[in-house]
Amino acid sequence: METQSIPPKTQPAPTLPSRVRRLSQYGIFLAFLIICVGLAVVAPRFLTVSNWVIIITQVSINALLAFGVTFVILTGGIDLSLGSMVAVAGVTAALFAHPDDYPLLVPLAAGLLTGIGFGAFNGFLITRSKVPPFIVTLGTMTIGRGLALILSKGRPVSNLSDSFNFIGGGAVLGIPVPILILAVAFAASWVLLRKTVLGRYMYAVGGNEAAARASGIDVGRVKLWVYTLCGGLAGLAGIVLTARITTGQPNAGVGFELDAIAAAIIGGTSTAGGSGTITGTLIGALLIGVISNGLDLLNVSSYYQQVVMGAIIIAAVVLDGGRELKVKS
Amino acid sequence: MKVKSLSLLSLLLCLQLATGCSQEKSSSTATSGKSLTIGVSMLSMQNEFIVNVADEMQKKADAAGVELIVVDAERSPLKQVEQVESFIAQNVDAIILNPCEVEASSPAVQKALAAKIPIINVNSATSTKPTAFVGSDDVESGRMAMKYLAEKLGGKGNIVMMQGYMGQAAQLQREQAAKEVLRQYPGLKMLATQTAEWDRSKAMSLMENWIQSYGNQISAVFAHNDEMGMGAVKALTAAGLKDKVLVVSIDAIPDALQSVQKGELNATLFQNAEQQGAQAIETAMKAAGGKQFQSEVMIPFKLVTQANVKEFLK
Repeated sequence: METQSIPPKTQPAPTLPSRVRRLSQYGIFLAFLIICVGLAVVAPRFLTVSNWVIIITQVSINALLAFGVTFVILTGGIDLSLGSMVAVAGVTAALFAHPDDYPLLVPLAAGLLTGIGFGAFNGFLITRSKVPPFIVTLGTMTIGRGLALILSKGRPVSNLSDSFNFIGGGAVLGIPVPILILAVAFAASWVLLRKTVLGRYMYAVGGNEAAARASGIDVGRVKLWVYTLCGGLAGLAGIVLTARITTGQPNAGVGFELDAIAAAIIGGTSTAGGSGTITGTLIGALLIGVISNGLDLLNVSSYYQQVVMGAIIIAAVVLDGGRELKVKS
Repeated sequence: MKVKSLSLLSLLLCLQLATGCSQEKSSSTATSGKSLTIGVSMLSMQNEFIVNVADEMQKKADAAGVELIVVDAERSPLKQVEQVESFIAQNVDAIILNPCEVEASSPAVQKALAAKIPIINVNSATSTKPTAFVGSDDVESGRMAMKYLAEKLGGKGNIVMMQGYMGQAAQLQREQAAKEVLRQYPGLKMLATQTAEWDRSKAMSLMENWIQSYGNQISAVFAHNDEMGMGAVKALTAAGLKDKVLVVSIDAIPDALQSVQKGELNATLFQNAEQQGAQAIETAMKAAGGKQFQSEVMIPFKLVTQANVKEFLK
C-alpha cells in the first residue's frame, strides 16, 4: 500500500476503506430516521405530504450550497464566502429580472456566471497564493457582501418578472421548481463525484495532497475546479432564494456558509478532507431542515430552539459512531 | 549658547501663540454656527431604514454647512464605542449616536459626556441618558399594530407573531406592547411566537411551517418588521390563504408600501426616517452652539393602509 501513490480507479475514496464509509453513511441515515420517527410521534402534522414538500423546498437552498462545499471540504479546503456569493448572485440576477427587461435566460445566466466567476476568483487566489482557503474566503466573504451592497445600492431589488419568480414559487407537475433543481443538482454532483476523473482526483487531493501531486495530478487545477463549482452552485442557490422571496436582497445569506458546512459535516464529510459523499450531505441538509421544521411545528420557544438544534446535531454525529476517529486512524 | 537658547524659546513662544490664535479662531467660528463638525456613528449602513436616516442627516448638514463624519458600526457595540472615542480625540462639536445595543453602547455615551461633547441618540435608546434623544417610541409601534389587528378582527381570533432578533430593543418593546394590547382583548389568542431574525426568507419558511401546524386557525400575523411581513405574505399567498389572514408589519419600506397598495399586506407602520435624521442634526447643532434644545424629540408612527398609502409612495 505504501508504495502505491496513484488512486485506484475503482475506489472513489482511497484513504478510507469503503466499508467504513458506507457504515458511517448508514449511521447518519439511522439518526435521521430516528429523529423523523420521534417528530412524527409528537407532531402529528409532521408526516403529511404537504409538510414534506415544504421541508424539501426550504432545504433546497442549503443543500445546493452544501453540495458545493462538500467538494471543497473533500479537497481539504473550506469556503466561508458562500453566503456572500448567494447575495451577490441573487442581486445580480434580480437586476436583470425586472419585468420585461430581458428574457428569463439573461437573469439566470447573470446569476450563475456571477457565482462561477466569484468561485473561480476564490480558486485562483487559493492556488496562486500560499494563503490558506480559510483566510482567502474570509476576505472574499467581506468583499462579496460589499459588492452585493454596491450593486443593489443597499436596497432590496424587487418587481421581478413572473417567469423569474416561477423558479422559486412555481411547480411543474405538482413538484415545486426548487425541488426539481435540487434533484438535478444532486444527480449531477453524485455523478461528478462517483463517476468522473475529476471526482476521483478530489478525493486524492484531500486524502494526501503530496501523494496526489507526486502521482501527476494537477492539484492546482483540481482546486480551481472545485471552488468554481462551489461558486456555481452558490450562484444557483442565490437564484432560487431570490426567486423564492421575489426580491434580490443584499443582506441575504448571512451565516449560510455555517449551515452548509454543518450539513456536509453532519452528512459524513471529514473536515480533514478525503472522505465524504453527496448522499450523506443531502441527508445532513435534510436533518437540519427537519429539525427546524419540527421545532416550529411544536412551537418550541426561540431561545430553546438553538439549544435543541445544537444538541441534536451533536447527538446525530455521536450516533454516527465517532466517525472522525475512524477516519484518522 | 544663552542667546541661542533664548531665541529658540522665543520662537517656541511665537509658535504657541500662533497656534493658540488659530485655535481661538476656529472655536469662534464654531459657535457662530458655521463649520461645525458632527461625528455620526450609525448602527448599520446595510439596513435600508438606517441608510435613509443617514441620507437625510447628510442632506440637512450640507444645507447648513455642517461637516458630517458618518461611520458605520456594523452592528458592533464595541466598534461603536471605539468610533465615539475617535470622535472625542478629533474634538468634534457634537456626536450623533444610533446605538447598536441598549447596554453595550452606553459606554460611548458616558465617554462623550465625560469629554463634555453633546451626544444625541437617534432612533434607539441606551441605558445611559444622552444629551438628547430623537426617535420614535417602539412600544407605540407594537401597540398600534396590535390595536389595528384587534379592531379589524373585532376582538376575536388567533394571532401569530414574528419577532426580530431576540433581545434587541425593538423586538422587546414591540413584543411588550403586543402583549399589553392582548390583555385588553380576551377574545384574541396568541397561537405562536417565533423569531425570523428580521429576515424575509426565514419569515417565509416560518410562515410555511405555521401554516402546516395551524392551517385555517390563523386569523392574523403581526411581524415585527416589513421584511418579515413580506415573507409571511409570500407564504400565505402561495398557500392561498392571504384573503383569510391579516398581516401587519412595521417600517413602511418601499416594498411593503407597494404590497399595501396591491392589497396584500394589510397595513404597515411608517417610522419617519427623514424626520428622525433631520431632527437629530438640528438638535445636535443647537446643542453644539449652546442654544436651547429639546432633550426628547418624539416622532410619531403613522398607520399606512390601502386608504392612505398614496401619501407615502414616492
